[in-house]
Amino acid sequence: MNVIIVGGGTAGWMTAAAIARLLPTRASVHLVESEAIGIVGVGEATLPHIRAFNERLGIDEADFMARTRATFKLGIEFRDWGRPGDSYIHPFGTFGRGSGEVDFHQYWLRMKHEGRPVAELEQYSLACMIARLNRFELPSRDSSRLDSTFGYAYQFDATLFAPYLRALAERLGARRTEGRVVGVDRDGESGDINAIRMESGETIEGDLFVDCSGFVSLLLGKVLGEPFQDWSHWLPCDRAAAMPCRTETALTPYTGVIAMPGGWRWRIPLQHRTGNGYVFASAFLSEDEASEAIAAAVEGEPIAQPRLLRFTAGRRERSWVHNCVGIGLASGFLEPLESTSIYLIQQAITGLLELFPEKEISPVDRDEFNRLIDLEYDRIRDFLILHYHATERTDSPFWDYVRNMSVPDTLQEKIELFRRRGRVVKYREGVFLDASWIAVYLGQHIIPEGHDMRADAPSAEALGRAMESLRAEIRATAERVPDHVGHIARYCPMAA
Amino acid sequence: MSGRAPSIHAIVVVGGGITGWSAAAALKKRLPALAVTILPLPPPPDALADRIGSTLPSIAEFHADIGLTEADTVVRAGSGFRLGTWFEGWAEDPPAYVHAYGEVGRPFGTASFHQHWVRAARLAAAEPFDGHSAAAAMGRAGRFVHPREEPGSPLAGFGYGLQISPARYGEMMRAYVRHLGVAERAGALAAVRLRGEDGFIEALRLDDGSELRGDLFVDCTGPARRLRSALGEAFEDWSRWLPCDRLLFAEAPPAAELPPLDKAVATGAGWRWEAASPLRTSHGLAYASAHLSDGKAARALRVAAGAEAEGDAVALRQGRLAEPWLRNCVAIGDAAVAVEPLEWTNLHLAHDAVDRLVSMMPDRDCSAVELWDYNRQANAEADRVRDFLALHYIASRRGEPFWRAAAAAEPPPSLAHTLSLFRERGRLPYYEEETFARDSWLSVLLGQDVLPRRTDPLIDAVAPAFADDAMARMRSAIAAMVPTLPTHSLYLQNLMRQSAR
Repeated sequence: MNVIIVGGGTAGWMTAAAIARLLPTRASVHLVESEAIGIVGVGEATLPHIRAFNERLGIDEADFMARTRATFKLGIEFRDWGRPGDSYIHPFGTFGRGSGEVDFHQYWLRMKHEGRPVAELEQYSLACMIARLNRFELPSRDSSRLDSTFGYAYQFDATLFAPYLRALAERLGARRTEGRVVGVDRDGESGDINAIRMESGETIEGDLFVDCSGFVSLLLGKVLGEPFQDWSHWLPCDRAAAMPCRTETALTPYTGVIAMPGGWRWRIPLQHRTGNGYVFASAFLSEDEASEAIAAAVEGEPIAQPRLLRFTAGRRERSWVHNCVGIGLASGFLEPLESTSIYLIQQAITGLLELFPEKEISPVDRDEFNRLIDLEYDRIRDFLILHYHATERTDSPFWDYVRNMSVPDTLQEKIELFRRRGRVVKYREGVFLDASWIAVYLGQHIIPEGHDMRADAPSAEALGRAMESLRAEIRATAERVPDHVGHIARYCPMAA
Repeated sequence: MSGRAPSIHAIVVVGGGITGWSAAAALKKRLPALAVTILPLPPPPDALADRIGSTLPSIAEFHADIGLTEADTVVRAGSGFRLGTWFEGWAEDPPAYVHAYGEVGRPFGTASFHQHWVRAARLAAAEPFDGHSAAAAMGRAGRFVHPREEPGSPLAGFGYGLQISPARYGEMMRAYVRHLGVAERAGALAAVRLRGEDGFIEALRLDDGSELRGDLFVDCTGPARRLRSALGEAFEDWSRWLPCDRLLFAEAPPAAELPPLDKAVATGAGWRWEAASPLRTSHGLAYASAHLSDGKAARALRVAAGAEAEGDAVALRQGRLAEPWLRNCVAIGDAAVAVEPLEWTNLHLAHDAVDRLVSMMPDRDCSAVELWDYNRQANAEADRVRDFLALHYIASRRGEPFWRAAAAAEPPPSLAHTLSLFRERGRLPYYEEETFARDSWLSVLLGQDVLPRRTDPLIDAVAPAFADDAMARMRSAIAAMVPTLPTHSLYLQNLMRQSAR
């Protein structure tokens, strides 16, 4: 199979490296990109899943982190979301020990309902406590230990990740052609893509085309005309003003996500700089106002002027059409509120590898790929909407809108169920599991009226003692963890 | 907490079979603040969860959750162990196959084990798929040990169910229920009295004129659904895919050497089973009345079992309630899902329903959103069990009219999806609330000779000769180990002796 990848950003080179590494006998990889176009460089902050991807590609963690100037990430701090002044962490880890028949938060809810003294929920999460102390070390692999109850991801410079993967992919035999795509040849009968034509006059034929061209969606959107499902009525943010600055505060092992009057801003600390950006809704805030606001908000000396990005939340109805698979922004966009951009790329690549076609593409494979991608998008979409909808903010028209908008039924059911007895709709596939939903619900004041009846089994005294001793053990364990800065200096310092 | 309905306090369980006793035990043990009352109506002959002795590995978790150990459930209750099922005659050509619980083969390289096996089977005649399962090999050899803890041991990755003797097991469970403090009411059910304003059950009227009140009613009365029939019983019929509508039972004295595999043998118009416990060997026949008369079925069973059929043929209407939980009445066991005993899911479905009820106990108003979540999960589970059972018929290859019709049935959409992905490239899609693990699906698919058109390209990196060698080593490790293990009967005797000390 000749696989032609159009576009050389994060999505393009991740796809190229993965196919070259894992299907060496089935596919040849040829990537075309134009240096004149530039890349968006999505997803400076990632989810823990990326570690599995890197491992499969045989990437050495310390080397990768040094080259991409990466830091560790234990979760996301959400500031000012439910109410101004709020702060909670969505941890990559459990509340409590994460074992046991009844979810930990059920005991916590019972204490609340009985009016007993109980600490903030995050004090019962080791990931949260290590994060709050700006510390880091790798989790234990022994699942009986408390220090195995967290995972981690990276915050890295996305503009360095693509070149890093490019070097790997080219070592593995991927070809690269520089230049612009100016035309596409399609089969008159089937409508499949036969070849792309380059500005240089060269024609590149292929069997499978992977569209990693970013927002323009050159093949999937423009050539094949796959319709775009617009979700901006639920996710109205459609602009971002990005502005990196020097890191002058503590190197936090978590991403900051701070609610703003017209949206929210990110704060992503890397080894050499801090990424910042204001994601906002142009219907409620002008581009100039946003640029001024982000310049005023950054916590260190700016390194560049604010740079503007435009997008629409939503996705192509199908990601795989004919012999063309869209991966990354070419297939859809969800704002980086929960760091899902690279995750979505990764899931599409995994799906493509598992359903890798023969020359005659089977509709069974294509339909299954699209079903898997649907599932991922829909679940992330609901989770993102929850952040906006579960708010008591009344300080701007933007927040009034999202607070009052109607949400998808699939989300409404989840919220109502949680409100009753703190139950989280469980599914084993999908990116955000129970702890993530619990963190956001409780962090944004969706407090259940009741709790799981099984949590009533222990006596109040015994439960109080057990909760307190767990809290103290988590605190003591977190305090023994070394400093984040020091850990990076020893493990993966960037080249000076 | 203004406006919130009060918590549920009084629960009434109706049904005196294993399902009813198990539900009462779990509710009282796991939610001790509840007042649980049971009305143990005698189980009808068509309540299969109360009658079938073969159980799945999940029974161990159910027992652990309510505080019972194998000293109670095996030694005291006279049970044996079971490693899986021996399937014979489901397809004409391939030999019998074993569906054992747990892992088949070990993954090597970049894709799952079965992909390597499929490639080998497509290139040449491969050794049977189940030959790479230690549990299947133990079962074929009549041997049994508990799984080992150490990872990497060929004996680490399997599960086992129990072969219970329902009468004895039921007595054990009844004694335990009394010990836990569940109130037992004697009497027969005369009427179900509904509340005018919302149709909730207010009370049960008994034949002596007394009433039994409660906040929540659990219907474990089998397909007759003595409580639910008063509320509504919209039912999804599965007979298109599961064509057997009659069951006949027989019992024979126990065997000297107990096979740890049940037998499921396809016959002209259905299939028959044979399951050995230390107290009895049970036999049965599932068949379609359109293809076999009750008289002929009884004769066939007598020949196979060497014993007369017990009672008349039992009619079976396979399917499930559209909503197992409606208002303040939840149907559990055969009252919720009626399926033939193929793959022995009857008590498993009842146990999972009880577990779900315990963990999802709502307030007294039984709010719609909580019932929605319960019913969604319960239905998803039941539908996938239906798919797994239907697979045995759809993938059958026999000449009789019954089997030709069964194999030609249009599968339900979720099974069609599974089959199309599997036939294309050996992929199995994931479904929520799945009872049977991937290796169980594979055991039946590959055992009945459903071969994918091609293999996963991710295995290309492993040369076929290397894979053949790895598989041969797995088989010889299993073959060397099995003869060193005790027979199932000997193992049980040792267990009895140890616990007597």
